[in-house]
Amino acid sequence: MHKVRVLVANRPRLMRELVLATIADQPDIEVVGETQDEAEITELVERIRPDVLIIALQEPESRPGICGFLLGRYPQMKILAIAPERNRSIFYWAFVDIRSNQVQTSEDGILNALRRQPDLVELPANPSGRYV
Amino acid sequence: MAVAVENVQVFILAENRLLREALTRILSKKSDIRVVGASAFSPQVVEQIAAAAPDVLLSDSAAVALSELRLIPEVRAAVPGLKVVMIGMDADRQTFLRAVRDGVVGYVLKDASAMEIAAAVRCVASAEAVCPPQLCLVLFEQMAQQARIPSFHIRAELGLTRREQQLVQMIGRGLTNKEIATQLNLSEQTVKNHVHRMLRKVGATDRFGVVELCRTQGVSA
Repeated sequence: MHKVRVLVANRPRLMRELVLATIADQPDIEVVGETQDEAEITELVERIRPDVLIIALQEPESRPGICGFLLGRYPQMKILAIAPERNRSIFYWAFVDIRSNQVQTSEDGILNALRRQPDLVELPANPSGRYV
Repeated sequence: MAVAVENVQVFILAENRLLREALTRILSKKSDIRVVGASAFSPQVVEQIAAAAPDVLLSDSAAVALSELRLIPEVRAAVPGLKVVMIGMDADRQTFLRAVRDGVVGYVLKDASAMEIAAAVRCVASAEAVCPPQLCLVLFEQMAQQARIPSFHIRAELGLTRREQQLVQMIGRGLTNKEIATQLNLSEQTVKNHVHRMLRKVGATDRFGVVELCRTQGVSA
């Protein structure tokens, strides 16, 4: 069985640990690397070539700068940007240009996204980003 | 001396769903901790927490902010003996001091590990306090500042009347204008007038700003 190979590089530490705990028991998902240092991400992606990179979404209204660079260079990879203070995260992938989809910041939302099924995630109608 | 509690019952209150779900799973694996509920903030959440009767409330600061900062005093009043641990988004001085004044006895930052969160839950259940080192300094500084400044001088400087100082204390306890009016035998409009006058005097933008300013200056202690 092909496992989804994930590099976990989101912050802060607690949110990264919660993501790791969410992935830990999944037989079809494998954590292939972890870092808390943003400066290491490019080097790790180059070395590990993960299927999915998980980073922090610091400003929910704008795409993290690293996405354009990494998806241009590694178009087969996908990026899941997790917002620590909101209930919406964003899944980015390259398809001619860069596409994105909103993902619920929950265990199911993250696992669905990692299994490349972000379209199956229901999104809240509330534009505030609050998802109860 | 602190005594370890065998079976700590915890309620998790967090706006972030991942935080609720994954923390519930992680803490539930600990043999000495039992998660008795988890929820986002809602107007009914105090009742929900009271019904679960936890030993410890583990709350993120976002949920407290959504309650217009009244949640902690209300939930502590509803659940006697409840210990509250707050997960702060950052090491913000004012948020931390506000939490301490509201009765929070454990404060951890999001840079903490899940193990540290579990340890904080155990500590407060054993009648100990938990505070990140960088925020511990804030407590020392605050105490030193309050001791330095004679309150009568500040009262004169802020120009608060005796009645206004009384209102500061009541607002600080989380009372609404209506509740204050009832207690002081005044009309709600009179209380509103007093509050507006105080805001103008001290240059604060809201009622809690007046309380914060007075507390910082040592007036309402």
